[in-house]
Amino acid sequence: MTTTYEKMADVLVEKFGVDRDELRPDVTFEDLEMDSLFLVEFVLTLQSELGLKIDEDAASPRDTLGAVAEILEAQIARAS
Amino acid sequence: MTPHNRRAAILDGIGRWVPPRLVTNAELSERLDTSDEWIRSRTGITQRHWADAGMATSDLAVEAGARALKSSGSAAVDAVVLATTTPDRLCPATAPEIASRLGMTGVAAYDISAVCTGFLYALATSAGLIHTGVAERVLVIGAETYSSILNPDDRGTMVIFGDGAGAVVLRAGEPDEPGALGPFDLGSDGEGAHLISVPGGGSRQRLAGRPPEPADQYFAMAGAEVFRQAVERMGTSARTVLERAGWQPSEVDRFVSHQANLRIMHRLADALGIDRGRMISNIARVGNTAAASIPLALADAAEDGTLQAGHRVLLTAFGGGLTWGSTVLTWPDL
Repeated sequence: MTTTYEKMADVLVEKFGVDRDELRPDVTFEDLEMDSLFLVEFVLTLQSELGLKIDEDAASPRDTLGAVAEILEAQIARAS
Repeated sequence: MTPHNRRAAILDGIGRWVPPRLVTNAELSERLDTSDEWIRSRTGITQRHWADAGMATSDLAVEAGARALKSSGSAAVDAVVLATTTPDRLCPATAPEIASRLGMTGVAAYDISAVCTGFLYALATSAGLIHTGVAERVLVIGAETYSSILNPDDRGTMVIFGDGAGAVVLRAGEPDEPGALGPFDLGSDGEGAHLISVPGGGSRQRLAGRPPEPADQYFAMAGAEVFRQAVERMGTSARTVLERAGWQPSEVDRFVSHQANLRIMHRLADALGIDRGRMISNIARVGNTAAASIPLALADAAEDGTLQAGHRVLLTAFGGGLTWGSTVLTWPDL
């Protein structure tokens, strides 16, 4: 899919021990057993990886990976 | 006697105590919807100590305080300062009773209320007592019976918090001595007061004009937001004291943050550019002991040799208020 989605997937696999086979755009963070506490950490990690300040409510456990990737793409576009 | 404008507070003794009752993750999993794996992966905690019925925070504080006094070779001090979120009673403060029980009736004694930042605030104010000549020696204690305010139905907090106490003795000395505390950074953000609280028991609830909710007596914390703020505020505060002290992050030998959650601690070390191997951590064994967290971690590290004389140590904490604080010292030969 998009580069942002791939970066998110890499972070989930490398830093959060998620199985790459479980990742699909329609999967939610909740499906991956990532609660709001893990999500804070995930967003902080993405901020460093993407080099941009991410809005606090960009990701919540019920969001799909695809939806969050789109939100981040929009934020990146606004920032550049 | 050291002239007042050159007086610094020097770390001169340390002690710690936890109540004997051990509570494992397995035990908590029996009554809460959780598991050992869930708790370890989210918090890094494998066990914690909880006080038995009949105990109160002063009991833990007296044990730790006595050990710190013994460690420093002091029979007495001029002031006893207790940092706690769980005083024996709302009134009076717990410190005067602690002083009496340690054979020091008559000395200045007061409590400091800054939740998990309490010990840093207590160190700063105690250094102030020494700097202004109010005291030559101060016993500074961080003690909690957090188990007494936990909501039994709140999985998030039940698995994190533990009971315990740590104490240090500070004495007057020269600013360039080993063990000299400072510089300090302290801060607060009252707009986040609602994020970490025990809503009931104070004037806000008593004068509310309606009976309290059952949950008002319990501690509540907005975990995700607190995680975020903790990393940010401790990061900024720690950087401030490092700059003031003229230390590069790479020169920090040991990093002791408030033992909130291992993931937060790792995150913070990474953000500051401090090697994770230099982090001092006992959270796996004692959990988050709020105001006792930092002195307990220091005492454990001093005992097992992780902390040694000459080590440059960075302390940083974040807690309810919201509050935060940091300081540095070179570890003395205790």
